[in-house]
Amino acid sequence: MTASSTKRESFDVRILRQAAPGEPSRWETFRIPYEPNLNVISVLQKIAAMARNAEGKETTPVAWDCNCLEEVCGACTMVINGRVRQSCSALVDRLLEEHEGEIELQPMTKFPVVRDLVVDRSRMFRALEKVKAWVPVDDYYDRGAGPRESQESQEERYPLSECMTCGCCVDACPQYSKVEVERRPNESIEEHQARQAEAEKSEFLGAAPISQAMLFNRHATGAMLADDRLNALSGPGGIQVCGNAQNCVAVCPKEIPLTTSIARAGRQTTVHAIKKIFDR
Amino acid sequence: MAGTEPSFFVRHEFLIRRLHSLTGIIFGGYVCVHLFVNASIVGGAQAFQKNVLAIHSMGGILPLVEWVFIFLPILFHMFVGIGITVGMIPNNKNYPYEANWRYTLQRATGLYLFLFILWHVFQTHGWFHFDWWLNVAERWGGAQFSPYNAASSIGLIMQNMLVSLLYALGVLAAAFHLFNGVWTAGITWGIWTRPHAQANALKVCLAASVLLGAVGLSAIWGARKIGSSEESIKQAEAIENEMYTVQVEAGLIPPTEHKRAHHADSDETPELTATPASDENPTHPSDED
Amino acid sequence: MAEQRVLVVGGGLAGLAAAMKLAELDIAVDLMSLVPVKRSHSACAQGGINSVNDTTRQLGDSEYLHFDDTVYGGDFLQHQPPVKEMADWAPKIIDLMDRLGVPFNRTQEGYRDQRRFGGTLFKRTAFAGATTGQQLLYALDEQVRRQHAAGKVNIYEGWDYLGPIIDDDGRCRGATAQNLVTMEIRAFPADAVVLATGGCGLIFGRSTMSMACTGSAASRSVQYGAKYANGEFIQVHPTAIPGADKLRLMSESARGEGGRVWVPRTPQDTRAPKDIPESERYYFLEERYPKYGNLVPRDIATREIFNVCVNEGLSVEADKQCVYLDLTHIPREELDRKLGGILHIYEKFQGVDPRDQPMKIFPAVHYSMGGLWADYERTAAGGLMPGSPRNHQTNIPGLYAIGECDYQYHGGNRLGANSLLSCIFTGLFVGPCIETALKSLDASASDAQFDLLHRAERSKKEMEHKKLLEAPTGGENPYLIHQELGQEMTKAATVVRVNDQLTAAIEKVAELHERARKCSLSDTGVWTNQNVMFTKSLLDMFPLAKALLKGALARDECRGAHYKPAFDMPGVESTDPTERRQQAELWCDKFEEKNRKWLKTTIADFDSKGDPTLSYEDVDTSLIPPRPRLYGIVGGDIIESVWKERQVKKTESGAQGVEKPANGAAEVSRDPVPANK
Repeated sequence: MTASSTKRESFDVRILRQAAPGEPSRWETFRIPYEPNLNVISVLQKIAAMARNAEGKETTPVAWDCNCLEEVCGACTMVINGRVRQSCSALVDRLLEEHEGEIELQPMTKFPVVRDLVVDRSRMFRALEKVKAWVPVDDYYDRGAGPRESQESQEERYPLSECMTCGCCVDACPQYSKVEVERRPNESIEEHQARQAEAEKSEFLGAAPISQAMLFNRHATGAMLADDRLNALSGPGGIQVCGNAQNCVAVCPKEIPLTTSIARAGRQTTVHAIKKIFDR
Repeated sequence: MAGTEPSFFVRHEFLIRRLHSLTGIIFGGYVCVHLFVNASIVGGAQAFQKNVLAIHSMGGILPLVEWVFIFLPILFHMFVGIGITVGMIPNNKNYPYEANWRYTLQRATGLYLFLFILWHVFQTHGWFHFDWWLNVAERWGGAQFSPYNAASSIGLIMQNMLVSLLYALGVLAAAFHLFNGVWTAGITWGIWTRPHAQANALKVCLAASVLLGAVGLSAIWGARKIGSSEESIKQAEAIENEMYTVQVEAGLIPPTEHKRAHHADSDETPELTATPASDENPTHPSDED
Repeated sequence: MAEQRVLVVGGGLAGLAAAMKLAELDIAVDLMSLVPVKRSHSACAQGGINSVNDTTRQLGDSEYLHFDDTVYGGDFLQHQPPVKEMADWAPKIIDLMDRLGVPFNRTQEGYRDQRRFGGTLFKRTAFAGATTGQQLLYALDEQVRRQHAAGKVNIYEGWDYLGPIIDDDGRCRGATAQNLVTMEIRAFPADAVVLATGGCGLIFGRSTMSMACTGSAASRSVQYGAKYANGEFIQVHPTAIPGADKLRLMSESARGEGGRVWVPRTPQDTRAPKDIPESERYYFLEERYPKYGNLVPRDIATREIFNVCVNEGLSVEADKQCVYLDLTHIPREELDRKLGGILHIYEKFQGVDPRDQPMKIFPAVHYSMGGLWADYERTAAGGLMPGSPRNHQTNIPGLYAIGECDYQYHGGNRLGANSLLSCIFTGLFVGPCIETALKSLDASASDAQFDLLHRAERSKKEMEHKKLLEAPTGGENPYLIHQELGQEMTKAATVVRVNDQLTAAIEKVAELHERARKCSLSDTGVWTNQNVMFTKSLLDMFPLAKALLKGALARDECRGAHYKPAFDMPGVESTDPTERRQQAELWCDKFEEKNRKWLKTTIADFDSKGDPTLSYEDVDTSLIPPRPRLYGIVGGDIIESVWKERQVKKTESGAQGVEKPANGAAEVSRDPVPANK
């Protein structure tokens, strides 16, 4: 679109590749013919189709995750030019303005790398289970409408409910550290996942699950599990680990007020802890 | 392997981190008093010595106050703080946001303050007040501050430019660390929750930290002024000794020889130096520098 | 007997609803999904979910009218009992989703707010911001997570369904699947397999659908004998943002708020759009439809935009089909106020501010009305028999299809905001039906007697996988074949369908299929090999693509989203009353004839090579007799009055309706129209 980009014929994409967990990582550069309005996904599609690096050498296609390509599914998160974001909404023209001539892609830094740009984010879903991020309805039969809700309450819950568990918030968090358990030979997928879950048991939950706990504590029926959620939030790896760097809210692609959720969680756990002392 | 019980620190992480926040605030309250008292040196040796003597007039309960509000909180805060800092993964290069810089700066100042406070307390107070230790400490440049010769002894310490600079850095680090810490505590305890409220609180906290930094720097400037010449040190000492004599005689403070300066050329009030037995609680670090 | 289990394949709205309901019925569930279930395509639905509600009811609305709107919108191609049941359930479903915590928009008093959607006169659509699908998906995802925490649902994310496991009696006893990370192939024993695997948009290369919507699960099932129905019915959305990777939806509200559609009169004019004077702009919708202008109905807008680019060569860009959707004449503040959200999407993905520059848009494949053929059991009242094991069962006993991958609810075209409803409804409804089915079985698929069957099927899949990896080098590139397939399908089988083009496309696709079989892989590794998984799904696109083309070629009429200009029925042009009357009578004759011939479900059976044979099945229209869709047709009023007179006469003479009710949908009637080729 800019004058310089119309003249550009190609650009380079440097990708941090890793064949499998435990393997060394290496950089590989690909040369992509320039066209306007590309995004990182279409670049990766082109790489898959040509399977040839910038030196013209044949190589395996780069593995990556994606699904909706509309920034609502949360699958295609990666570290692009040093910053974690969704690759579907990362536009090549903008990225080349950020960093002339080259785009740099890396897998997310806080999750075990599966291959190339694919990471295992199951820890985030397990965290949602820890904070019981659901409404505990009796059953799925017809019992009429749910609780009435003010517009104000809906407007507060809706943004929190847009969280797609993409992991940007925790990847940019200086308090969230990677936990990786290597798979043993002949270990089943399930056994390996169980060991991984055990290893991260006491590790930080991160912003997204904290915010989800606040979402459900705000709902009339959801609040019936509020104490359980606050126990989880004040347990190992809970809200106390937050260091208030506030990167989470800065990188959240959905602009979810994560730091407000964190402060609310701070308030609720404070009251909860004091109550626990006096109710003993 | 599975089902290993998490360690004591992990199980009580929430409580420990909340106490860390609380002890920081308590010690922070002390730091404010400390820096404001020290800044009175700008008003001259007499004003400063008056404040110091007022504090020491607490006598026997002073150590209790010190332990509850100063030593225990800061020791807990420092060591937990080191633990917290060890686990951080700073990423300011990729995420150069203002709050992220403050996050990293909070930990950097924390580490500096850890070293600075240890050194500063050693240099002025000597850490412990056993006689044999004080002798050792003094040989190593510790225990240089004499509460009953407050302005003159600190003036001497501040004669060294490097020391002054390190103190200035310490004061600024403390001012930032304290009020940025107050701001994060407001989130930790859930006092300010919405972005707008957090932004307002941040403005107030940063203003307070600038103010406290200025107060602290003025104290250093005042001390350097007293220490700027032999003349002014002598003058200050004379004032201090006179105040000491008067207050001891009035029974306002106990006569305590190790809280006084011992310069080679000092030959004043020899009658009071002969009472080493009156030095109570020698094991207590009881210093209000 | 070992514990009976159900395998649900697909973790979108339908699959999650089924898993959660089955768990509630205390049935052990394995839920399998290509992507983590929270990342399913259901998240993309923006608009809302339809149901009659307390306020519309007071304005004369009813479940029956919702049912009527749905079959009218679908051009009467649906069997009516399932649709009636769905409309009856709709209010209960919204209530349930409300209880599950979906943040539906609220009125001041705190009730759910509703908006009006296309194809109805009532404000029937409940919505949660602009991400209703995402919100509904998450509510179900949360419940399934809860059931998982309670130990009732096993979740297998990152597994690709490879096909059903069918025993000697023809009953489905489980499925094989492959892990996308470790490449392990496993047999999952199951006493019922529920396919909830969505649409097949990727057959068209790029569409508004997600990357997982390859249709491969449906295709892998039809290759084991399941039937595929109404494949030729594909909904195309008129305005999407063409991207190199996908086509993203641009809401119709852009036109609703005054957006103007145009192309430069000079083909591929290189000037910036704002430098092109008014006289050199071709506002083709406004010129051709002065009455409706840019607000012509969806299908007309779609056809005209397609036509101006493809047939008249007036596309804005040379290498990409698109027209301008121009909002730049509207003040910025007004745009921000009314269209802020959707303009933000355009800006985010195109990097261009649509307040300054016209948007570039083109129609895009959006929804598959067709899908796996599934059965139902009708009650005397015309609804579905609750708990009948026939409901949603494919022609393979024990294999069920729900959600977008079944064909039952949307007929020839889908009404806006009905897809979310059909997904949740089918998921919930199928639960008790499967419960009955399991009770009737005297064995469990996990019993030792089936071990051999499962092992054999797994080895078969392992061999197939190995064979693909060992393909000689220097063959075809699967990604390029996919692009070609997409281009071919988009050209021949989307908006406007011409028999010559379809015939050519059938040939071309068959040729591509042959070439695809000779693909060689650029990655022959045994770990997270996306190359081989893509190639597999590419190969499986062909059977469905072929059925789609063949069905479209055979169906010589216009119905719903299937439009053939050669068989269009123009309205009544004459102004002379007698002549008008005569023409209307003629029109109605032709309409009746057309229904006699074509008001039938297309059913495709596949041979071992994936080539389809078509047959046709009568449609149960016993509840609402078919009537012409006259919206936008010249002389619609006179046609309508003639049609009404005929209906009255028919009832008076005691004759049956136009269609006699199908005698249970399971029977496939002999084909009155010879299947093409």
